[in-house]
Parts: sequence; structure tokens; C-alpha cells
Amino acid sequence: MSIRRWSGAALLALFAIVISGCAVNRSTANVEPGSNLAAVKTIHVVRAPDDGRKVNDLIAERLTQMGYAASTGESKRADVDANMTYVDRWMWDLTMYMIELTLILRDPATDFPLARGNSFHTSLTRLSPKEMVQEVTANMFKDVKK
Amino acid sequence: MSAFRTRLAGLALIAGVLALAGCAAPADKQAMTVGKAVVVAKKHPYAVGVSVRGGSETTTTTSSNIADADLKAAIEGSIRETQVFREVVQGRNGQYELAVNVIQLSKPSFGFSFTVDMEAGWTVTRVSDNQVVFRKAIASTYTASSSDAFVGATRLRLAVEGAAKANISQGLAAIGAIDL
Repeated sequence: MSIRRWSGAALLALFAIVISGCAVNRSTANVEPGSNLAAVKTIHVVRAPDDGRKVNDLIAERLTQMGYAASTGESKRADVDANMTYVDRWMWDLTMYMIELTLILRDPATDFPLARGNSFHTSLTRLSPKEMVQEVTANMFKDVKK
Repeated sequence: MSAFRTRLAGLALIAGVLALAGCAAPADKQAMTVGKAVVVAKKHPYAVGVSVRGGSETTTTTSSNIADADLKAAIEGSIRETQVFREVVQGRNGQYELAVNVIQLSKPSFGFSFTVDMEAGWTVTRVSDNQVVFRKAIASTYTASSSDAFVGATRLRLAVEGAAKANISQGLAAIGAIDL
């Protein structure tokens, strides 16, 4: 009986540990001191080397919707106002989903990070890749007056 | 009874694995602090305030992270040790403000050797006229091997702390090389 009780308690503890990570949401954006994002009109999205899901295309499409002259390609460009790099992390929970997306807007001359946006959603509150891109870009550029 | 024991042993094993996976500890500010061994070219006779963003807390669902407050304390301690600025003050009460923004902290999930890459944007602003006098992206890396720590979570924390310490060292050396 005692073993049964311990077994039940262990199962309960396991369940608590497993579900404790089910609903974490985080969404942040930082602009570096001295960076003027209002002056940025042309942005080039640099495809991450290991991106097989074409996240770069989603980002470029979103930036175009927001009114920027956006392009995308394999390497950085010097003839734009900013390059954008990104890090996408994926997780499996019945299906693959994007758990975290970080976008970094960089000075084309120095590669200095002008601004950074990040969204993190675990499985229960998962967003589609398109929604993740929308959330991060909205946060990054929310204070920019065009 | 035997089946019960087997099941219980299985549960204990799973619980042990989960517990180990969730035992990540945050990067320690003392371990990230640069000592007097790092020599800066110039010691600026000014007071500086430090602000840090982009870090994140370590939770039961994440591996080792660097909290903003801990990185700030490590940078402040490192400034005092290296004396790259005369004094550390809080807020914008000094002649300069150093803002450090953690851009990326890339960590592996598995392996015997854990290599962590860190990138941070370092900006120094003159408070009197809000002029940015220094800005640089600092990239650093550190590898902790199984000889450093047997437990993976500890090994990862050491790698995170090592990458942060190297970043602080490079950042302060770069600031020590400029004229203010």
C-alpha cells in the first residue's frame, strides 16, 4: 500500500514537472542607445545558413507589408540601411513548431546590432511562424514614426 | 510485487533524468567578473553608470541563462577591478553611461564539450550631451569540457559564465583603448 502511495506521488510530481513548462510566453524588444530606426527604409534579410524553412522569406514579406523596401539573400549587403539576421528555434510536441524567434537589425557598415526583438512561446500557446514574425517585428518597430 | 518494483524503478529513473534536466543554475556574477589580470590601456578618470538588457532568467524549463542583474553586477565588479573607469555609480549620475545589450547566447543541448557563443552590443554614451562615443558588437566563445564538470547542466553553466567573462574582458579592453 505504501509503495502504491509513493508511486502515485511520483506520478503526480512527474506530471507537475512536465506541465510546468507548458505555457511560457515572452516577447521583448530593445533598441540600442543612439540608434535611429526611423531613418531605416531599406532592409536586407540575411538567410540563416541552416534555415530550411524559408523563414527569411516570411520576414522579408512582413517588412514589405510594413512599408520597408525589403530584400533577402544569402549574404549581407552594404547598400541598404540595415541588414537583418535571425535565429529561429524549433521544438517537437506532436508536430514541429517554432518555439523562439530572435531578429537582429544590424548596421551594414559595422554589423553593430541596432535593435533586437525576441518572442518565445511554448507548445500550449504556440504561434505559427508567420505570427511569430509579426509579433517580433511589431515589437521592434512599435516606436518608429514613419 | 516484482512488477511493481520494476515500475517504481522506471519512474525513479525518469524522475531523475527530469530532475537533472531541470537543475540548470543561472550564471554566477562572481564567475563572470574579470579580475585585475586583465590590463586596460587607459584608465578613464570618470564615473560611469551601467545598464544591461537582453539577458534572461534561468527557470525550470530553460538551461543556464544570464540574468540582467547578474551581468550588470559582473560588469560593475570588473570595472572596479580593472579601473577602466574611476567609479561606478547607479543610474545616469556619472559622466558616462555604459549600456550592454545581450544579442545572442547560443548554447548546445547535448555533447561532451559545450561551446557557448555570446554576442553583445556595447555602447558608451556621454551623459552631458547624450553623445554616443563608443559602440561595438563584441562576440565571445567558451568551451567547457567533461573534465571541467561531469554533470551536463554544470558544464553548460561553466561555458555560459566563460563566454560572458570573455565578453566583459573584450568589452572593457576595447573601452580602455579609446580616448574619452
